[in-house]
Amino acid sequence: MGDEAKNSSTTTEDVPQLNQDELIMAQQRQIEKEISESIPLVGELESILLLEHEYSNDTVYQEKVRNLSLKYSSIRRTRPDGNCFFRAFSFAYIERLLDKKEEFKAFYQKAEKSKDVLVELGFQQFTVEDFYDTYLDVLKRVGDIENTEEAKAELYTLFNDQGYSDYMVVYLRLLTSGQLQKEKDFYSCFIEGHRTVEDFCHQEVEPMYKESDHIHIIAACAALGTGVRVIYMDRGTGKAVTEHDLPEGCIPSVHLLYRPGHYDILYPV
Amino acid sequence: MSLEMKYNLKSPGVKRLMREACELAEPTEEYHACPLEDNLFEWHFTVKGPPSTEFEGGYYHGRILLPSQYPMQPPNIILLTPNGRFEVNKKICLSISGHHPESWQPSWSIRTALLALIAFMPIPSSGTIGSLDYTAEERQILARKSVHWECSNCGKIANKLSTVKIPELTQEESNFIKQIALKAEEDVNRKEVSNEELNDNLMDLQDTVQQRSASNGTYTELQTSTVDPKDSELLNQNGIWNAVVGILISAIVLLILRRVFFL
Repeated sequence: MGDEAKNSSTTTEDVPQLNQDELIMAQQRQIEKEISESIPLVGELESILLLEHEYSNDTVYQEKVRNLSLKYSSIRRTRPDGNCFFRAFSFAYIERLLDKKEEFKAFYQKAEKSKDVLVELGFQQFTVEDFYDTYLDVLKRVGDIENTEEAKAELYTLFNDQGYSDYMVVYLRLLTSGQLQKEKDFYSCFIEGHRTVEDFCHQEVEPMYKESDHIHIIAACAALGTGVRVIYMDRGTGKAVTEHDLPEGCIPSVHLLYRPGHYDILYPV
Repeated sequence: MSLEMKYNLKSPGVKRLMREACELAEPTEEYHACPLEDNLFEWHFTVKGPPSTEFEGGYYHGRILLPSQYPMQPPNIILLTPNGRFEVNKKICLSISGHHPESWQPSWSIRTALLALIAFMPIPSSGTIGSLDYTAEERQILARKSVHWECSNCGKIANKLSTVKIPELTQEESNFIKQIALKAEEDVNRKEVSNEELNDNLMDLQDTVQQRSASNGTYTELQTSTVDPKDSELLNQNGIWNAVVGILISAIVLLILRRVFFL
């Protein structure tokens, strides 16, 4: 009798939990591997009309793609790994700055000072420095190239090198977290649940692969001193796609296409 | 030297590990860690048992395995010195190590992981993966034994630490360590609930069994089975050993008595 009870408690309590955990993790790793093998971190420039092929059986989306093509000529896809907003935003913004040398210079000077702000906020100097150095290194490498097209090509190469690309993402995540904490009185109103701004940053902003919400986007824009236009494309009513400027009323420097769960970069006509 | 030849120094991950190796090169009073001579992605570490706990006076040695995507993914910690808190030769379930990758942050480091390990040792294991529930006495014995423990790679580990005090923890670091402690407490609560459920289930089972059987014997037997299965196995094993030792001692006594009385 005793043995019977013991066995049943072992099988129902311990074993399935552990196995399920491991199965879920194994499956997750498998999915991540497939994604990373098939989709580059930052893709090539593609015509916006190619999107139509993706939805060959779907008239709602086809209509919206046609509507989108009135304003945007091309799209650049990013890898859907939870970092897509940060990677897309960072890439698109630097790419745009490369066309405007003066703005780039100002941006570089601002970036140079950004580390001290983070350290003041209590981030570990040792590791912040590590990400900061690589961030500045990338900016310097592309900024030093005279020819704009060559500079953009170098940016593309660096953003497809996992090491550099992820470091750019981490540093933008840190800057975003810093911005949220610096103005926590303002941002705390937008955080759901009973979490402090610090908790939110530790759980949703600083860890890699955590997806971005409105609040991330607004804080990231404030941290870099720019604005984003997000074009929402979902199965909602109407033929047109919905536009949102973040922060409201800004002149957007970066245009992103949002389809549920994912951001890609858009290029205006 | 060989390390620098072997790795691409331009890769941010490699640069980061080189940096961490420099930062941790000097042993401190509480921890020391350095990469293996031929592999930058495997480190060996030594930590001192936290004072005023059953690990006081102990030296614990282990391996740190760094994923190729470090620091985007967390380091894995494996203890080698028997300690009564974590299974040896098994990846540890710290909330910052590999079993819960979602809570790791790239701005944490090997040093943070070691501080977390030290802070985590005295926290009840509550049956998480890779944990052991030894008694305080057993852990104290292991702590004393650990002084003589040697690593085939690093030699006697008790000599690995120095008397250099560690730099004071930053706000971020102490917050982080608090965060883990909290996480572990939450886990304890959750486990308690599930144990209660388990007990309830067993109570139900006991009731039905009691209705069927008149003897009290079955009841006591079932009660012992509410103990964690691993523990009861340990108890059973102890019982067997006690019996064996008892038989041996009585045999020796009998032999002595025979010698005294019959010669």
